[in-house]
Amino acid sequence: MAQQSEHKWGMVIDLDKCIGCQACVIACQAENNVPLNTEEIFNQKRAIEWIRVERYWEGEFPNVKARFLPVLCQHCENAPCEPVCPVYATYHNQEGLNVQVYNRCVGTRYCQNNCPYHVRFFNYWTPQWPESLRNQLNPDVTVRSRGIMEKCTFCIQRIRRTTRNAKREGRKLEDGLLQPACAQACPTSTLTFGDLNDPDSKVSQLAKNSRNYKLLEKLGTDPNVIYLKKVDPKAAEELHA
Amino acid sequence: MNRITAILRNKRMLKILIPVIGLGGLAATAVVVLIVVFVLRAWWGLPLPILGYGEGPDQPIAFPHTVHVEQIGLDCTFCHRNVTKGATAGIPPVQQCMFCHIIAGDGKPEVEKLRTAFANEQPIDWVRVHRLPDHVRFIHEAHISFFSQKNNIEPSAVCSTCHGDVGGMTKVKQVRSLKMGDCVNCHRDYDAPTDCLTCHY
Repeated sequence: MAQQSEHKWGMVIDLDKCIGCQACVIACQAENNVPLNTEEIFNQKRAIEWIRVERYWEGEFPNVKARFLPVLCQHCENAPCEPVCPVYATYHNQEGLNVQVYNRCVGTRYCQNNCPYHVRFFNYWTPQWPESLRNQLNPDVTVRSRGIMEKCTFCIQRIRRTTRNAKREGRKLEDGLLQPACAQACPTSTLTFGDLNDPDSKVSQLAKNSRNYKLLEKLGTDPNVIYLKKVDPKAAEELHA
Repeated sequence: MNRITAILRNKRMLKILIPVIGLGGLAATAVVVLIVVFVLRAWWGLPLPILGYGEGPDQPIAFPHTVHVEQIGLDCTFCHRNVTKGATAGIPPVQQCMFCHIIAGDGKPEVEKLRTAFANEQPIDWVRVHRLPDHVRFIHEAHISFFSQKNNIEPSAVCSTCHGDVGGMTKVKQVRSLKMGDCVNCHRDYDAPTDCLTCHY
């Protein structure tokens, strides 16, 4: 029974605030049972990072500046990964989430090839954790086995838990109550998560900012993750001068 | 070859051979069919209740639900306290058993096992009866609150929908297949969400 949901989850990433500390990456890794990325795995370009912070250098040596760009699954409305899946393991649900169904996935990796953002990851090996981390795994998240795709879920386990608790206690889901691990860990509140259907929510307000843009917008994927451009003080000075 | 043709030419030998081969073939077919039916039944639902598959596993302490539920009249939620609050129903800790068994059940060998475990601070390795695959998130609390509100009944009256009459079982066994078809049929009946992301994440 397909029911139209009242929520449409989205995220705003204010690049002016990002300091590139990688706290979001670590928080995501811990929350979602993402396997450990060793140097060897990284060099094979098979590392799994549901969110990563891309670093760019701007300018020539003495006046060089580091620019950071956190990239996670954009939860596109027109997701290129979805139509290529032969077993419907990835689809768009009513809450605006791009869903990966682990038990349907057969590991063709078509979705990974078709994703312009490189945010889908394949489990080339059975994930293994050292004995000391055995009890660290999150019981609310499936541990993905070898041979299937995985990607950012906007911490669906938190969305489910918070909505369930709100429903049981008979209250409305407040804005800001619900945060994925990355947004919660961010020390500068670069990442803001919320309901884009609610015009008063913080994300909806931030999304209206004139600095807004979407990654690779020309591809027409219509992402639910909105970026706010970095404020360049020099350019602003020139503009006002 | 010659010996076989010699036997086949001997009419008296044939009279014995033909029924032997025929009956042997029938018996073999029956065994194969039985195995196939058994495997398919176990695959689609619960295994046939033969060869001990109809009963639950042996537990380290032969805990009789009949005594606690039918005779004493305890509520399910009295021991499985997490069922109305969280995802799992939960097995009560040994200490919770000792609330009563510190005085109740003197001289019974199974109760003595419990007391020894408590004295040695050892957990009891209960054998799990109901287990869902790792990629399924079943939330007890959501189901309990839905049915108890809908039918206006006590939370403990909901449990039997899936677990059967546990109060009448000396050894707990699984009564429903609890396969995905079982879940989805019920979700359709009660207009519950059937989005994959409801249970698989």
